[in-house]
Amino acid sequence: MPIIEVKDLSRDYVINEGVFKKKMKVIHAVKNISFSVEKGEVFGLLGQNGAGKTTTIKMLITMLAPTSGTCKVLGYDTFGQERMIRTRINFVFGGEYGLYRRLSARDNLKYFANLYKLPKGTRDNRIDELLKLVDLTDRADTRVETFSKGMTQRVQIARGLINNPEVLFMDEPTIGLDPVGAETLRKTIVDVNKLGTTVLLTTHNMYEADELCNRIAIIKEGEIITLDTPANIKKKLAKKTSFTIEVEGNSANIKDKMQSMEELSGVSITEKDVMTLEDAYLQLVKGSNEK
Amino acid sequence: MNSTSVLLTSMSVQMKQTFARNMFKFTLFVGPFLITVILGEMFKHSTADNFVAYVVLGSGLWNLWNCIAFSSAGDINRERYNNTLSIIFSAPADFRLILLGKILGNTLLALCSFFLSVFFATVFYRHPIIVTNWPLLIMSLLLAILAFIIMSIFIAYLLTLSRKTAIYMNCLEIPVALICGFVFPIENLPQGVQFISWIFPPTWAVRLIRLSVTETTYGLLENFVPLIITSVIFVILATLLYRIIFKQVKVLGTLDMA
Ligand SMILES: Nc1ncnc2c1ncn2[C@@H]1O[C@H](COP(=O)(O)OP(=O)(O)O)[C@@H](O)[C@H]1O
Ligand SMILES: [Mg+2]
Repeated sequence: MPIIEVKDLSRDYVINEGVFKKKMKVIHAVKNISFSVEKGEVFGLLGQNGAGKTTTIKMLITMLAPTSGTCKVLGYDTFGQERMIRTRINFVFGGEYGLYRRLSARDNLKYFANLYKLPKGTRDNRIDELLKLVDLTDRADTRVETFSKGMTQRVQIARGLINNPEVLFMDEPTIGLDPVGAETLRKTIVDVNKLGTTVLLTTHNMYEADELCNRIAIIKEGEIITLDTPANIKKKLAKKTSFTIEVEGNSANIKDKMQSMEELSGVSITEKDVMTLEDAYLQLVKGSNEK
Repeated sequence: MNSTSVLLTSMSVQMKQTFARNMFKFTLFVGPFLITVILGEMFKHSTADNFVAYVVLGSGLWNLWNCIAFSSAGDINRERYNNTLSIIFSAPADFRLILLGKILGNTLLALCSFFLSVFFATVFYRHPIIVTNWPLLIMSLLLAILAFIIMSIFIAYLLTLSRKTAIYMNCLEIPVALICGFVFPIENLPQGVQFISWIFPPTWAVRLIRLSVTETTYGLLENFVPLIITSVIFVILATLLYRIIFKQVKVLGTLDMA
């Protein structure tokens, strides 16, 4: 049984436009997407702003009702069987919101530990453990409002891990982090995954997706346009093969010489992969919706 | 055990978070003073003769109502803007317990405000405090607090469902205080409005409180029974409303600002 099972999932938003004369407008944020995630995977959702990533995650974490289709986590419906899911999953949203900023990091974690029904005996140990993991032990008792973006984000990660979730959902977890902070977080994600947590994350950062994800779904205007391993996605779109040519000695007029294809001795030719995931991604998002 | 800890932590988080907010300190300390002065001056120029009933308890109740109902209302929207509302809603703990904890936290803070009002009224106007029936006063104050809590739960549920409700709520602060008779008896209101007053539990609680500081001894049951009935009705309505909001909030997607 897959840990996450999404089938023909859609979500519309109805909004009112106009100040005086209200006009109803329907936004199709997610359109008939299907995918499944197996236990132990790190699965990535990639897409531009407004592609429907957050909407998809919200449906998966029992925050939002689907308009149509199946949305199952751990075998239960996320709309209707929330109770069976909520203790076993958790989520982290990027950005500075989602914490009680006037409380300390420790007080925040204590509160959420109680909302996730951690037994008192293990609660304080777990909080110390997590504070250490996100490197905030020294600042644990200061108010979150005095924290930098990166520190705030680390408190959120600790919050997301408070119940040792079987599935962790992360919506742009490294947004706003500096390169070192982002690198540390990626390490944490790898560690958490090694301990058995299935991870679904969204990101803009191709390098990150390439490094972390076993499989990736690229989503554009609410639809999945590609779903595969990072290696396969790159391979599929790489139509050209490039050569790096290193020239020993005199390099003058090398172009002419190459064109005439004479005197190839002294020239070493290495085959290299020209396509980065970023290139593949940009080509997919900008270009025609070829699958 | 688990439920108690959810209730207690929600309460303590609420109080810590609220107390750190400057606007709340204003509501808590300056509010009682302003309302007491306004009511005190109104009293001087009116034909009413019971200072305790109309100034001391009037301002006290108004503040109590402000702090319980309106802080709870504002907090829901603050949490919505801060994106914590969707998080606590999606946590395993029962959302009703979380909200109740918040409201109880506000109630404790509101009691400070109530006593401050009573203190201001007594100190500034130096009227003797005459209470004919202390046990009745204490009991009816407790019932009034209970009525406020029930109303707050109802309002909090409505606010969870829609962010627009908060705008309407802010316009309702003064009308509700008047309609429920915090300031002057509802008999001074037009007949049509009085019917509305009768629906709300606080109206009856306030009348009970007034009875305890006046000479009259009749009318106890006439107020007590409607208080219980209206309270029970609001509890039932809130229970039904919760079933609806629990689903609708996710269908409408109004838990956060995204
Ligand atoms: N609460 C909402 N009400 C109305 N429209 C929304 C709401 N949330 C998202 N949308 C719209 O749905 C689309 C998808 O948004 P979102 O899922 O946030 O995308 P992403 O996370 O990929 O940036 C966007 O067009 C966005 O404007
Ligand atoms: Mg998003």
